[in-house]
Amino acid sequence: MSKHRYPILAATALAVVLAAPAALAADVTDIGFVDQEALSSLPAFASANRQLNDYGQGLQRQFTARAKGASQDQQQKLQQQFQSEMQQKQQQLFGPLFAKAQVAIASVASSKNLTVIIDKRIVVAGGVDITGNVRDLLTAPGDPVPPVATPPPSSVGYIDQGSIDGVPKVKSAEEEFAKFRSDEDKSASDKMKAAKSESDREAVLKDYRKALDDEGTKVVKPVLDQTRSAIAGVAKKRGLALVIDRSMIIFGGTDITSDVTGAIK
Amino acid sequence: MNRKLALLALCALAACAKPVTPGTQPSAGGPIGYLRMDDVIKHHPLYAQLAQYQTNIDALELGGTVPHAIANADVKKAQAALSKELQDAANRTKAVLDQKQKTYQDREAQAIAQALRASGVSAPGAGTVAREVSQTAGAQASAVSRSAQRDFAAYQHSLQDQNQAELSAAQHAITDRANRTYRARQDELQAKEASLTLELANKDAATRLALKTKLSSLALDDTSREDAKTKLEALDRSEADAIGAMKNRDGQTLAALQTQLRAQVQAQMRSQAAAINARTLAKLQSRENDLRREFTAGAPATSVVAGGKPGAGAPAQNLPPALRERIAHLHADYQKQFTADAQATIDDFQKTRLDLSRRYAALGGADAAAGADARDQIASLERKRSALYDQMVDQIKREATLMAHQRGLAVVVSNPVAEIRGVDLTDDVAKDVETLHE
Repeated sequence: MSKHRYPILAATALAVVLAAPAALAADVTDIGFVDQEALSSLPAFASANRQLNDYGQGLQRQFTARAKGASQDQQQKLQQQFQSEMQQKQQQLFGPLFAKAQVAIASVASSKNLTVIIDKRIVVAGGVDITGNVRDLLTAPGDPVPPVATPPPSSVGYIDQGSIDGVPKVKSAEEEFAKFRSDEDKSASDKMKAAKSESDREAVLKDYRKALDDEGTKVVKPVLDQTRSAIAGVAKKRGLALVIDRSMIIFGGTDITSDVTGAIK
Repeated sequence: MNRKLALLALCALAACAKPVTPGTQPSAGGPIGYLRMDDVIKHHPLYAQLAQYQTNIDALELGGTVPHAIANADVKKAQAALSKELQDAANRTKAVLDQKQKTYQDREAQAIAQALRASGVSAPGAGTVAREVSQTAGAQASAVSRSAQRDFAAYQHSLQDQNQAELSAAQHAITDRANRTYRARQDELQAKEASLTLELANKDAATRLALKTKLSSLALDDTSREDAKTKLEALDRSEADAIGAMKNRDGQTLAALQTQLRAQVQAQMRSQAAAINARTLAKLQSRENDLRREFTAGAPATSVVAGGKPGAGAPAQNLPPALRERIAHLHADYQKQFTADAQATIDDFQKTRLDLSRRYAALGGADAAAGADARDQIASLERKRSALYDQMVDQIKREATLMAHQRGLAVVVSNPVAEIRGVDLTDDVAKDVETLHE
């Protein structure tokens, strides 16, 4: 009896070990994704893109003509003005299309009981691909009907990196590093030009990278670690499975940006 | 109870041994998995090439190129030859100036003696005056000669510097162009090697996976295990051989290209150096001729001026006033003539300087063109890097998909900002990817 018992117990232990990580993680069935690149090739988006390109080229010609003989300050103002006009045009052309796409995505997500739709680019495997359904809704006559219910809370959270970057501590570290990098670029560029042999150039490149790595470790990493720890803490408290960047969230998800910025201030 | 445990264990083992069909989607419901793509990619067999692309991009962005050794012995030889020619020209000029100085001193002495004799000055007196004037003329001619030689030496040094700078710039531009050609070909061949590596790995992915899955089965008997192992090794060897053969061919192609480029660089440098040296020598020759003309046309003036005051070398005061006046007029005329000649030479010198400055500006333009080339090359490298990265990520995704299926994960995402309850596949996928092309 005992002869048979131990192998069975051992096999059970092995099975538990193999299954352990999965058992610790909660099951999910509510994560979908969209291939935004595929949607952007739809006729309506392609046409808006063409119009925006034409508009941009016209603006560029105007800028070039008006910038001739203008002072640096004036040129900078002109540049800002043109950028602002470009953004307005973009909003005008794409705003209604994005709004319609959002409604279509929300509608498909609701019908498939998905709580979050993410960008296909970060999906390595699995998930529910709703690109085809969304495309069908967008190309069908008439507007898609918005879902009645708001999406339920999702186990996927997100943060807005832009807001995190705006936290003084983070901003200051990034600015310090950017300045260091700019100085290093110049210095390495000069050394590169003066280098006489391949090994000299390789040495310059190696030193340049090492200097950046060292400075990154010194200046940016502590802030980054603190931010990661804050994100993990907030996510745990909110019962999230994982957190991704806002740019990868297309619909739904749980926004924890303000909790995180509050925690790292 | 024991039966239940046994059943559970058997189910678990069966799940482990279950063969996986590549491309199968993970389960509709299950835990979330994640992997840190940035870490996994470092374990990919083609990561070295990806990193090499980045290194080349960084090097170009920093304003340098990544050169390979192209001999510049010819350039140095050309520079040495030029240097010798310049020195020879300087020596020739010095000899001409010395000779002219002596000739004009003799002629002047004779002319003065003749003028004095015609004025009724006695022969010994004429001889004394002629000697005095001749000595003064000799001193003045020496001063002119020294000044002219200083001028010529300065001009020669200036030309040598300019010549050297032009040669360096030309060498830089030519080797840069050759380096870019070499690197473009190298990148192209590396991209093809990467493509073949991926193609072979993809082609054999299903077989390899089936063999690996078989090998991971605990129930496999020794003979079957050995057989699967042999097949897997044969598969790896066959891939490695194909890739190795391609790398060898590419190595030979690159070596041949390097030889060809080296020959091209040397030929171009020879031609450029010859053109630059010829221009420099022509300028020196022209300057030398000017100096000769100065001394030929204004020979008697050497006794008068050398930047000195009119009459500085005037003959003895006991000469008749008319004669002294005549000599003074001669001094004034020669001084005027000399000043005009000197000014023409200075103008010519300035013109040459201006011409050289213009050519420097043109060289600056060549640098700007080289910069534009570098930007194009950066863009091309970035495209290649991006294409390779995408191919590597696709391969990683395929491996991760199979793993996700085996582990019953519903979805796997890459590079989450934070992960709390997900299954981390990073290390396991990295191991799988690492052995892909072994």
